[in-house]
Amino acid sequence: MTSPTVSLRSIGVRKPGSLILRSIDLELHAGSATALFGSNGSGKTTLLRVVATLLRPSTGSGSVLGAALGSAETDSVRRRIGLIGHEPALYPNLTLAENAELAASVALGRQARSEARHALEQVGLAAAADRRASSCSNGMRRRVEFARMLIIAPDLLLLDEAHVGLDPEAWGLVGHLISDVTARGGSALVVAHEEERVRPLVDHTVTLVDGALTRNHS
Amino acid sequence: MSLRRQIATLIRFELRDELRGGEVALVVLPFAVIALLTIPMAVGIDTPLLERIGPGIYWSIVMLFGVLVTQRHSSLAPAAARDMLRLSGVDPAARFAATTLATFILLLGFEVGAGLATVLLYNPSLSSWWWLAALLPLTAAGLAMIGTIGGNLVSGLQTRTSLAPLIVVPIAVPLLLGAAQATEGLRLGAGILRWVLLLAVVDTVLALAGVLTARPLEESAA
Amino acid sequence: MSARPLDLAAIGTLVTAFVAGLVVPPDAVQGDLQRIMYVHVPSAWLAYLSFTVTLVASVAYLRVRSLRWDRLAGASAEVGVVFTGLALVTGMIWGKPVWGVWWTWDARLVLTAVMFFVYLGYLALRRSFEDPEVRAHRSAVLGVVAALQIPIVHFSVTWWRGLHQPPTVLRPDNPQIDAPLLFALLMAVTAFTVVFVALVSRRAELTAAEDAARHPDDTDATAGSAITAPIVGGRTT
Repeated sequence: MTSPTVSLRSIGVRKPGSLILRSIDLELHAGSATALFGSNGSGKTTLLRVVATLLRPSTGSGSVLGAALGSAETDSVRRRIGLIGHEPALYPNLTLAENAELAASVALGRQARSEARHALEQVGLAAAADRRASSCSNGMRRRVEFARMLIIAPDLLLLDEAHVGLDPEAWGLVGHLISDVTARGGSALVVAHEEERVRPLVDHTVTLVDGALTRNHS
Repeated sequence: MSLRRQIATLIRFELRDELRGGEVALVVLPFAVIALLTIPMAVGIDTPLLERIGPGIYWSIVMLFGVLVTQRHSSLAPAAARDMLRLSGVDPAARFAATTLATFILLLGFEVGAGLATVLLYNPSLSSWWWLAALLPLTAAGLAMIGTIGGNLVSGLQTRTSLAPLIVVPIAVPLLLGAAQATEGLRLGAGILRWVLLLAVVDTVLALAGVLTARPLEESAA
Repeated sequence: MSARPLDLAAIGTLVTAFVAGLVVPPDAVQGDLQRIMYVHVPSAWLAYLSFTVTLVASVAYLRVRSLRWDRLAGASAEVGVVFTGLALVTGMIWGKPVWGVWWTWDARLVLTAVMFFVYLGYLALRRSFEDPEVRAHRSAVLGVVAALQIPIVHFSVTWWRGLHQPPTVLRPDNPQIDAPLLFALLMAVTAFTVVFVALVSRRAELTAAEDAARHPDDTDATAGSAITAPIVGGRTT
């Protein structure tokens, strides 16, 4: 049996004066997608950032893509992690194509202009590729982030309410991206509130309550 | 991607972002020229005096308004974009280098623009003006580095537009003094090598500080 | 808050130094005005000491990540700003009758004033953060960067050759100051140093108490548990 993509043991995150995550045990396996539910303020984004290796946990241990959390090893695996967060990560004065190209170029380590254009076509933004990000809607900016993920092809996909702002015809992108990653043997962790829409797209669901995960089906 | 190519890519996009926004060329530089214009209105239109103090005023303007160049909107990537860059495997020191070099290029342009305005308005006499070829880049580099560090220190704060100059300007004073003393030395026909060396030393220390503190600063944003 | 041995030592040495400063004979040239040096010189010494302590504590924090070092850095900077201000003010009071002006634009005075503002900026940065860990991180970086001012201040006095007196005490073979005055000066420096240690220690304790009061660490409830279901139309949803 292959080792899990993500393995968290008793992970806790405490800020001065507040406990955000109490004790998280979580495993994500290759080729599987997991949905993370929880009420507002329950710590879903914090957990996602720990898995993304962007936030060092206060207690506990774990590994992401084979690298121990909190160690220097995480530097080498970050390129294999794709994160779409709450806010679109776009430079306002750059065009949609340039934004896609920038992220792809640094992640892939080479010029990625044609890949960026092709990916924008796939997400339905071919005609708007040369518009500045500041003049585009939130939904359009979101689609650019999906385009980036198609180029980068991460082994670990993390979506933090990434579907917010997408119109119904773009919702299919969420499922497409998840299945793209899992088909290649990667894992996905999806934070969302709409349980009915997200359940068909994933293999397992977990809920964050009082700083710990419950109904962990993995 | 090699570190150099990563830095070059980031610089290209950052400059493109700024040139499209036009904050430095269309807002900060005109504001600096207005300052150069209004000072004689306050000090008095005494041509020999203005010739004498013009270079010093120029360096003060470069420092005070140059800080605004370092804190331009395009120098600070949106928080989510910083996460994206972190995950792309870009070394924090490389990001510091990229932002600093982009700022350096913009500051050089700013110094040249403000310099031309100073020559027109104050008519300073400068022998050995070719030394400026060393002074301008050295001051621009130092200001770019301390401005980038300062910008990272105040990122995320509501008060960043006023706090950053308060932090940056006092630390940039040795740059001002070195440049101003050197220019005064040029006017008097004296040697200025030690001021140039001072600027070089300050720049070297700032470069080391920027590179060494890039990672801790990035971690504090999480 | 009861007086500790350190507090008593600070008061004791300060009183002794004060008496010594008044009792020793006046300077042959400057008269009683010279006595202000017994405040000015130790204050200037503490300015440099405090910002060096801030540098060391900042580096220690970045290596060890213990908030104790951050509190030390902050306390030292705060006390340092006060003594830097005192050095500048006493310098101006001394300078007016001697040099004829309040402010001489001498390089060392200017750069000491600049250091004052550097650390005001440092304190302003510290005050801007709620989270003690973010405060510690960012302040530590600024503490290290700001400290590069200190060697520049030192060698600038020889380069710019301003009106400021060259260092009189730091030439061991031939100090330009008579023995009784030197004794009073060294007493003052010692007393001020003890006062500095006492003040910094108290201030660091106070910061720890402030942090603990604002961010009690014994919380067992998660932050998320404070958010409950909204009440709409008189019923929870």
